[in-house]
Amino acid sequence: MTFSKLDMKHFGIKTIMSFAILLLLQGNALAAENNATMGMSAPVFFIVFLTICIAIGIVAVLAGVGGGVVFTPLMMGFTPVDSFIIRATGLFVAMAGALVAARPFLRSGLANIRMLYFAAVPYATFAVIGALLAGYVKETMGAVGEAYIRLGLGVLVIFIAMIFVFAGQRIEYPEVRQVDGFTRRVGLAMAYWEESLGRVVNYEVTRSWLGVLMFCGVGLTSGLFGLGAGWAMVPVFNLVMMAPLKVSAACSKVLIGIGDTAAVWPYIMGGGIFPLFAVPCMIGLMVGTIIGAKILLKVKAGFVRWLIIGIMLISGIRLIMKGLEIFGVM
Amino acid sequence: MVVRSVSQEKPKPPLSGIVYGEVAYWMALVGVIISIVGMGMYFTSETNYVNSKCLLSSLWAGKDAHTIWEECAENVPHGHWYLEKLNTGDGVAMLGIALSCLAAVIGVWLSFLTMLKEKERVLFVAMSFIVAAILTASALGIISLKH
Repeated sequence: MTFSKLDMKHFGIKTIMSFAILLLLQGNALAAENNATMGMSAPVFFIVFLTICIAIGIVAVLAGVGGGVVFTPLMMGFTPVDSFIIRATGLFVAMAGALVAARPFLRSGLANIRMLYFAAVPYATFAVIGALLAGYVKETMGAVGEAYIRLGLGVLVIFIAMIFVFAGQRIEYPEVRQVDGFTRRVGLAMAYWEESLGRVVNYEVTRSWLGVLMFCGVGLTSGLFGLGAGWAMVPVFNLVMMAPLKVSAACSKVLIGIGDTAAVWPYIMGGGIFPLFAVPCMIGLMVGTIIGAKILLKVKAGFVRWLIIGIMLISGIRLIMKGLEIFGVM
Repeated sequence: MVVRSVSQEKPKPPLSGIVYGEVAYWMALVGVIISIVGMGMYFTSETNYVNSKCLLSSLWAGKDAHTIWEECAENVPHGHWYLEKLNTGDGVAMLGIALSCLAAVIGVWLSFLTMLKEKERVLFVAMSFIVAAILTASALGIISLKH
């Protein structure tokens, strides 16, 4: 057995154990009346969630997605914690990770600052609207609102998993045959140094008006459900606006930091963040992302993509079941 | 053809982007460190704002944020509550979280000012100003959820 295989075996065991802990927590929640804190002191709670989030961070990086998009559905599907608190924390961890990761992309010029602000206006605006909508639903609709949120997120998570299954193809250097008049007038095109090619890549983008419309939807989804939105932003930059894949990924990471900041503050002001829950999740995802990035250099992690698709499908189904339970259907 | 080599010289990245990246990175990092220190205080100190046992049992019971604040901190916080509770572990941890969340706000403002100084196109200067204004309104609680 090679070192990397052994590494992956241990990693797989850790991941399954973390998932098992989550299932255990969910099961134990039923006995919460007898043992309200589930036998956990604050430091033990901190360590348990730190461990779970390290595993989420590792799996997410190996599967090529942000930790935020896995964190929210998994926590909402498998823990009894209130969805408003989970969504606030989900936005916060996605934002914190993106802020720390953005620096090299901007220093190298890979993230196009013009495209960033162009996308940040609709994204941040609608992320705030999404966050406000989340508060409105919670305030006015009570349990029914909670059910709609869980159902909506369940359907969305299954849709994202399907995107990973059926539309995983992205284009490294999309060919722009014609730049539309609006995009030409805006002037988003820039150049960057491509290390792997050893030369400057000067690229064009197109259909920026369609990109703006799509960023409105992506921002709304992110703010409402407390998800990182890299899964949607990369395809918008890469397949709709036809920016190179690396530029799209870099812009997406930086944009999450900006847009989710706008959305997270209404949640903070609404009392949705508790440090005892948010801090271990944030540190865990950051550490997991760093470890995952190192493992990624050593192993072929194709199977992890299927693992994350499986986790997201199970989370999505679980969320739909929880939503239907509230409606009294199940 | 879209992707073409125009020069072998590395293009200089826009300063406004570098400024945003540096400010966001360092502020977020400092925020993370402060929040870790705060959690250390939370575990070792007896005087915390939110009672940890009550918080844990409420989280497991699936209680909503409003109820948890009422039961475990005896009042629902408004705005930047942690600024008045910096003698408590959770107050310090929340300060760290807030600093991380302020990183992009400060970063975008400084990026906007750099764009002005660098005489970037008016459209992008205006866009960075709009983004900075949205983030600021959000952070100040001008855009907020009513509880």
